Order: sequence, then structure tokens, then C-alpha cells
Amino acid sequence: MSTIEDKNQDSSKKQVEIDEATNVKLLGGHEFDGIRELDNRLPPFLKYLFYASIVFSAAYLMLVFVFEHDSVIQEKEYRNEMMAAMHQEEPTPSDGTETAAPVQRTQEDMLASGAETYGKICSVCHGKFGEGLVGPNFTDEYWIHGGSREDMHAVIVNGVIEKGMISYKNQLTETQIQDVITYIQSLKGTNPPNQKAPEGEKYVPQQQEEKQPQS
Amino acid sequence: MELQKFTYDNKITRNFAVATIVWGVVGLLAGLLVALQIFIPEMNFSLEYTTFGRTRPVHTNAVIFAFVGNAIFTAVYYSMQRLLKTRMYSDLLGKIHFWGWQLIIVSAAVTLLAGFTSGKEYAELEWPIDIAITIVWVIFGINMFGTILQRRTSHIYVAIWFFIATWVTVAVLHVVNSIGIPYSALKSYPIYAGVQDALVQWWYGHNAVAFFLTTPFLGLMYYFVPKAANRPVYSYKLSIVHFWSLIFIYIWAGPHHLLYTSLPDWLQALGTTFSIMLIAPSWGGMFNGLLTLRGAWDKVRKDPILKMFVVGITAYGMSTFEGPMLSLKTVNAISHYTDWTVGHVHIGALGWNGLLTFGMLYWLIPRIYNTKLYSVKLANVHFWLATLAIIFYAVPLYIGGITQALMWKEFTPEGFLAYPNFLETVTQLIPMYAIRAFGGGLYVVGMLLLVFNVIKTAKQGSLVKEEAAEAPALRPQPVEKTKSESWHSFLERKPIRFLIIATIAISIGGIFEIIPTYLINSNVPIISSVKPYTPLELHGRDIYVKEGCYNCHSQMIRPFRSETERYGEYSKAGEFIYDRPFQFGSKRTGPDLAREGVKTGRIYKPNAWHYNHFIDPQKMNEESIMPKYPWLAEKDIDLKSTAPKIRVMKKLGVPYPDNYEHKANDDLKKQAEEIAQNLREAGIETESTKEIIALIAYMQRLGTDIMTPQTDEDTEEE
Repeated sequence: MSTIEDKNQDSSKKQVEIDEATNVKLLGGHEFDGIRELDNRLPPFLKYLFYASIVFSAAYLMLVFVFEHDSVIQEKEYRNEMMAAMHQEEPTPSDGTETAAPVQRTQEDMLASGAETYGKICSVCHGKFGEGLVGPNFTDEYWIHGGSREDMHAVIVNGVIEKGMISYKNQLTETQIQDVITYIQSLKGTNPPNQKAPEGEKYVPQQQEEKQPQS
Repeated sequence: MELQKFTYDNKITRNFAVATIVWGVVGLLAGLLVALQIFIPEMNFSLEYTTFGRTRPVHTNAVIFAFVGNAIFTAVYYSMQRLLKTRMYSDLLGKIHFWGWQLIIVSAAVTLLAGFTSGKEYAELEWPIDIAITIVWVIFGINMFGTILQRRTSHIYVAIWFFIATWVTVAVLHVVNSIGIPYSALKSYPIYAGVQDALVQWWYGHNAVAFFLTTPFLGLMYYFVPKAANRPVYSYKLSIVHFWSLIFIYIWAGPHHLLYTSLPDWLQALGTTFSIMLIAPSWGGMFNGLLTLRGAWDKVRKDPILKMFVVGITAYGMSTFEGPMLSLKTVNAISHYTDWTVGHVHIGALGWNGLLTFGMLYWLIPRIYNTKLYSVKLANVHFWLATLAIIFYAVPLYIGGITQALMWKEFTPEGFLAYPNFLETVTQLIPMYAIRAFGGGLYVVGMLLLVFNVIKTAKQGSLVKEEAAEAPALRPQPVEKTKSESWHSFLERKPIRFLIIATIAISIGGIFEIIPTYLINSNVPIISSVKPYTPLELHGRDIYVKEGCYNCHSQMIRPFRSETERYGEYSKAGEFIYDRPFQFGSKRTGPDLAREGVKTGRIYKPNAWHYNHFIDPQKMNEESIMPKYPWLAEKDIDLKSTAPKIRVMKKLGVPYPDNYEHKANDDLKKQAEEIAQNLREAGIETESTKEIIALIAYMQRLGTDIMTPQTDEDTEEE
């Protein structure tokens, strides 16, 4: 809208009036219910800010319409982000998790980590104490898909979609899965209130499950 | 020159001022309620009428259209008479305008709480009320232009330019955005669907901010600031340039509400660039307001009215800088869907609209009651309370918004989301919500001080209903532009021409943005697997809209790794072609639901989970802040409305088979029975006729149209 001419040479300007406080000319003939208007020019920095924003916008629109640059076309941006993430992920598991962690981790560490994952993810369907909600009870001896560590691992990794259990292979690391299984096993016999009725088959741990002695 | 004697109508001004105050209290209390509900789920009272999804629109509508709306009319009816040296054109039209508007507000509150909503933010009101608004707005326009045309001044002052632009733009926005086809006495479907509906809605939504909350308040500023300060306006030239640039540019900026959504890139780019170009025109208003106080700063120190104006105008400058910054995609990627946006709008609402309104009332009430303000000291306390309130309100939301966005985006070194459970990122914000509610509470207390002060002032004075005035009659003006006259000065004495040019200025942006999305197919690429909703899903969707789920849940997965990891494949424009209204949402108080139904997805939940969760979210997760919806399991699906719904959808081009409206309920019952059966297998006894079944059907449909072939690829990639 820069085409507007703002010369405003008013016809009724006979004698020039000056605003005493700021020493600026008052516009003649401009009086509305006692409100006068001063003849100040546009603040220069504001004018330049406006020009700058127009230049920025022109450049930006060029980037979109002419160059279709990666940084402004969102599908390209997404593809680049995903590619970057894939390259980044590969080296990390080998140097981070394997060397230091397993050696020092005690049973308490594993239970604490398992409890954390359980609280964040599992409790929504299996109850805060494993008493069962939409999902089955973890505190009794009955298991729908088997009660061994391998069976539980398979359920967590693959999910049981028709029952609403989704796959967590993209949300949990192997260590987190192992820890949460340890935690879930520790819930057996805790007898929390509001337990869901047993479902599935009774599972008796085999002797080979040497890792988890009865607690 | 003979002086003509006439009177100003102060009664109409008083009436609008009283309405401003009454609705101000109501709107702010509603705001305080929703501020508490958002972190104390018990505050929803387990009642459908008092649940956040319904109370939040009551708050927004009450403060925007009732509080600010009446404040605008107060300013217009007071200032126009004096600026044009005439009484308003018609007392009767003024009365119809006043009572019509108040009736609209009451019916809005009742219907919104009863669950009649169009599901489009700040345009929630349904079609009969929309028609009433149009009629009242036209009456307001006739009264306004009648007044302008019978004026005794040759030129119209800058405040009136802004009122004219306000009137015409709000009319255009309201009519275009509200067009729909009714299927019942109180419900309709919009003629736009999906991405186009989103575009039209945010063209409206953004410019409701521009032309309901901004331009009329600039008009208010241009009258009351020089009056209260007794100073001339800083620059007439600046007025001209910033007025035209502001109204022309504003209208283009709507798409910045839809950055990174499935809106085409070119529209997003226009949204971003026109927002950036808005900084200077907006600041033109701020500087013209603040610099008008040059030579009066000593008064500002003592006068709470001027203090309110200064902080209000400064808040305007802050939010009109922040707005363009939020329109940059890099910033928006963080701010969008978080409380940052809520903080941003409240700087404008509490600062600019609130403080300017309070300042105006403190200035105007004593004048029409021919007395002095009862207590300047109390007004001062109000000023400090309100200013503190804004800080306590906004700062925690900025902190909370950024915190939550960073939590959403954080990955572990192993490449997993650091906070895969959405709820964790919400629980983190509870203290911030508490501080925000405290800030809101302070603002309410300030408002109550105003109520007290105004009542006392009115009691010690008496209303001058008819204020005597005199002015010479308007001399005949030259029809053509005179040689010595500038182009703009000429326009200022030709109000109809002014109106026409303003109308053109505000139409261009909308025409350029909206029409191509209809003419060029590539804007919404067709996806053949996307099918219309089944009748049960359609009912479920309407319940989703009715309960205002969109106030807390988005249905728009942005193309970020952090979102596709959390929710699944990002949303495509073609997926929404049967969505009337669109339900993208603008805030994630809860997780996105765009892929809720995708069985192989990240956030899938079984029917039984949904059932239990709707009835008692805290049973599923103690820390959940979602309200309970027990009535969904008690109320029956309204089968009678199925046929009219399908009929209207067909009229809108949805490809249901011929005569489907007669068979739809059979399909509905069959699908409902399947879900009910599935629930029974999970140990939940329910009837297939209940609303909750329809809502579950809709949940399980969400996002599934395109996901069957795509998921395999996805998993292989990873």
C-alpha cells in the first residue's frame, strides 16, 4: 500500500500552529472533538523495518516458489530429518549400552528401571500395581500368552494386536524390556487390591529359569 | 454560520458499558474455571455441561464477543457521536443492536453448554445464532453509516476508519466462515471440508483477532488516548500508512495457524511472510499511540487511566512482534500445540484488550455520569493487579510451553523418544498451570475492583442521558477532489468510497488464498483409499465435536520425526476430505488422535480401554487430567438424525450410495453390535445403542484410511 500519497497539504491551512510541548506543527483543519493531529513524519526506523520485512518476504517466497529449497518444503525437510536420524542411530548402541552398563547393574537397578518403564507405559492397561485393568493381572500365577521370560519378551516385542497390546519394539530398548520383565515377575503374589480375575493358564516356573529365584 | 443544537445519546453508551462490565466478569470467571479445570479434573464436576470441552468455548466466546464486543460498541457509540458532531442515526436501531447482541450472547452460552457447537474455534455458534449475528451486525452497520452520512464534520477521523474496516471485515469473515447446511434445528455441517475448512476457519480465526480484537481497539485508542492525555495524535501520516498496510496485509496471514500441517507449502509461505510484513504496520499503531503521550509523561505517572493505556499499548506491541516470530516455521515447530500460544494470546487479550477497556471505562463512566471517578486509588490498585496478573499468567505458560515441546521432541541416544508417554509431558506442567490460574485470579480481583468503583461512581453522579451539544451544519463539500487536497484527505470526506476501497483491500488476500485450493487439485491430492465415514462413525464424530474434544486433542501429525515416532505416519491433505468440520485442533493438552485407530500404530488402544477411559480416565491413569464422560454410556445415539445427516452429507458431495439414508441405521446397528460384543468379551456389559459405542467406532476409524499399505514400508525402513 505504498502507493498512498500522504502529502496532505490541507486547503484550510491558513496560519501554522505549533504544538508547544513537542515543537511540531499541528495539522490545520484537523480537529475532531478537540483531538488534533501532528505533522510528524513516519519514524524512519519503522519505515526501514517495513522495507526489510518486505525484502525478507520476497526472498522467502523465492525460496519456496522458485528454488523449492529443502528448508522450506516440509516433505523434503522431513525426509532429511529421518535420514539424519538413521545415520546417527547406528553407532550408538555398541559403544553406549554394552560395555559399561551390564557389569555394574544390580538387581535393584534393574527393578528400579523396570518399575519406571512399567509406570510410564504398562500401568495404563495393567494397573498401577499390576492388578490388571483392561490388560490382564500380573500378580497371579495365570498367563494368557505364557509366563516365561521368553514368552513375555515376545508379547512386548510383537504385541497382541487383537487384544489391544501394541508392539513396543520401537519404544523400548532391549535392556528396558529385560528390566520391565524382571519387574513384572517381581509383582507375583503381591496381592494388591482390586485384582482382575485370573485369565489364561497357570504357569509354573521351570527349574531352567535360573535367573529369577523365587522371592 | 448558524450553530445547530442537538444532543448526544449517553444512555446507549451506558448500556453497552454496563454490558461490557457484566460480561467481563462472566467471561473472566469462566476463564478462571477453565484454568482450574485444566489441572484439577474434579473441577469438571463429571457433568456434561461443565466439562472443559464445553466451558472453554464459553470462556473464549464470552471474553471476545461479549466483553470485548460490548467494549467496542461502547467506544463506537460514545466516540462516533462526538467525532462526527451528531447524535447516532437511530435510537431504535441502537436499541435493537444492544438487546440483539445481549440475546445472542445468552443464547450462545446456553447452546454451547448444551453441546451445540460447530466445532470451529471462535466460530462455535450454530447456524440460527449465526444468522442472528449477521442481522444484528447489519443493523449496527446501518446505524453506523447513517451516523457517518449525517455528520457535521467534513472529514472522518482515523478512529472511524478503523471502525469502518472492522465492520466490513467482520461481516465478510463471519458470513463466509459460517456457511453450512443445517440437518436439524440447531446443527449443521459446513460447506467446506478438511484442509479447505481449516484454511477458511483460520482465515476467519486469525482475522477475528485482527478485526475484532485489534482494529476496533486501534479506533478506541485513537479516540481515548489523545482525549485522556489531552495531547494531539503523534502523526497523521503514520495513521494513513499503518491503517492501509495493516488491513491489507492482515487478511493474508491466516495460514500461519496451520504451519507444518497438511496445508500446501505455498499457503504456509504466504502465512509466514505476510505475518513478518505485519510487524511494522502493527508497530505503527503502537508508536502512534505511545508517542501521542509525548509531552504528557508527567501525567502518565499519576493517572491510572494513562498507565493502563501505556501498558495496554505496549502489550499490543509485544504480541504483534511475538505473533510474527511464532509464524516462522522454526519457532512454530516448538510453539504450536503448546501453552506458548495460549500465553501469547493472553498478552494481547489481558494487556491490549483488557487494559484499554478498563482505561476507557474509568475515563468514560465519570463523564457520562457528570462526576469524578469514585476512587483513583482503587483504579491504581486495579492497574497494578492487572499488570502483575499478566506476568503471573503468561510467564508460566511460556516456560510450560517450551518445556513440553522440548520433552515431545527429545530422543534418547538409542533413538527412542525420551518421553514416550504423553502424560509425562503434561504432569510436568501442573505447577505452571497452578501459577497461571493464580495470575488469572489476580486479574479477576482487579475486575471486581472496577465493578465496585464504577457502581460507586455511578451512585455519586447521575446519568446525563441527553448531553447537549452544538455545531455548525456541514457546508456543502466539493464533489470532486480539489487541487489542493490530497488523495487521502479527499477519501476522508467520502465515507462510502472509503468503505469500498477498504473492502477491496481486505478481500484480496482471502481471494488469493482460498479460491486456488478449489481450482487446483494438487492442493489436496486425492487418496483413493479414503472413504466416507460409516453412519456410526459419523455419529461418533459428531459426539467428538459436541464434547469439544478438539479443545485438547489435535488430529494433525506434523512431518517431524518426533511426531511420526510418537503417533505414526504424518497427516496427508487427502485424508480429511470427508471431515466436516475439520478437527485439526490447535492445542495438545492431550495427545494427537489422528492415528488413534491404526492397530499397528504407536498409540492404539483396544475398545475396552477406550470404554473405561471415557468413563473414568483417572482409573486408567491416576495422573490423567482428562474429564470423565460417564454420560456417554448412558445416552442413546440419536438414530432419528441419521437420515438427515446422510442427506446433507450427500448434498455436500459425500459419495454415499443412492437412498443410503434409509439403510444407514441398519449398518449403524450392525457395526455398533460388533463393538458391543467385543466389549462384552472384555467383560464390559453395555448396550450397542449408547453414544460411547459411536465414539469408540470413530476413535478406531481415525487415521486408518491410508495406513494399511503404508505401515509395512515403515517398519521395514527402521
